[in-house]
Amino acid sequence: MTPASGSRSVRTIWALTFGGAIVWMAMIFLAPWLAARGAAGAARVLYAVFAPVCHQIADRCFLLYGHPLAVCGRCLGIYAGVMAGLVLYPLIRGFSRPALPMARTFALVTLPLALDGLAGILGLWKSPIELRFATGVLWGAILPFYFVAGLADLVRTRRERLAARDACKKPPGNIE
Amino acid sequence: MDPQKPDYFRPALMAGAVAGLLSGLPIIGTGNCICCLWIVGGAAMAVKLLAARTRALLTAGDGAIVGALTGITAAVVDAIVSIPLRSFNMDLARRILDKASEFGGEMPAGLDDILNNAGVFSPGWFLIGLFISAAVFALMGALGGIIGVSLFAKKALPPAAPPQTPPGPPDAA
Repeated sequence: MTPASGSRSVRTIWALTFGGAIVWMAMIFLAPWLAARGAAGAARVLYAVFAPVCHQIADRCFLLYGHPLAVCGRCLGIYAGVMAGLVLYPLIRGFSRPALPMARTFALVTLPLALDGLAGILGLWKSPIELRFATGVLWGAILPFYFVAGLADLVRTRRERLAARDACKKPPGNIE
Repeated sequence: MDPQKPDYFRPALMAGAVAGLLSGLPIIGTGNCICCLWIVGGAAMAVKLLAARTRALLTAGDGAIVGALTGITAAVVDAIVSIPLRSFNMDLARRILDKASEFGGEMPAGLDDILNNAGVFSPGWFLIGLFISAAVFALMGALGGIIGVSLFAKKALPPAAPPQTPPGPPDAA
């Protein structure tokens, strides 16, 4: 695979991920908007979509039109962080070299969220929703650097394997 | 088995079964509310298992595949485990929300209807729920798998053993 086509596939994966993230965020805000407009059935479907990944306890959610968002403040922070990470991705990493972040960086951004979450579970403190949001943003911002690089690598290895298989299938040329 | 070619299925099935079981159990399952903890963690563990069984260097793409498979396995196991625990989970959710509303907490929109209807098993809703969970868990699992590669995969191949040279003729000194 040429560097140009590799860069193109990273760009495509980045664009698709960005599009998916925008749709995902829109659904989070759409649920309370629909509930406020009386479309209870459609709102319920959207709330149900997010149920496997969030507790959706209203006390821990930001409100929109008097209704809780489809995810809690921490999850909203994570998704907002993913959006921010996707915006920063071309500036920090560029499209030519998809590399994973260092384990040390991952530990650094995970620590605040892990400490806040653990302390909440153990009942040591009840952090305000703004702090949950902020720790979520920090953690979420690193995720696109894994996701985009990982999928780009997957596409690259698949293409290389297919190219190698095609090369094996070609009949040998005449030897004079 | 070719040691150079990763065998994704066994680590994914093992880690996915554990992650799905943890996700389906009452109280413990709420761990998924913290960034899909069991799914992301399960996928990372699947990569650790895969790295231990494979001699080749694992790429981020390998992590994405094994992670997505782990997520799908976990969704299926979670759905199966949740069937017998459905009424217990609903009772527990109702008690927690009743307690929360005593302290002035607000219930999510339409939650009362959902709790009333959720105790009844419907194959249609079961399959829709399984499909949504499988899609979300596969994405989260792929992410966990890629993170797992950066944390657990070998950074370089061990040096190859030097080729054995046949013993030469004894020195005729």
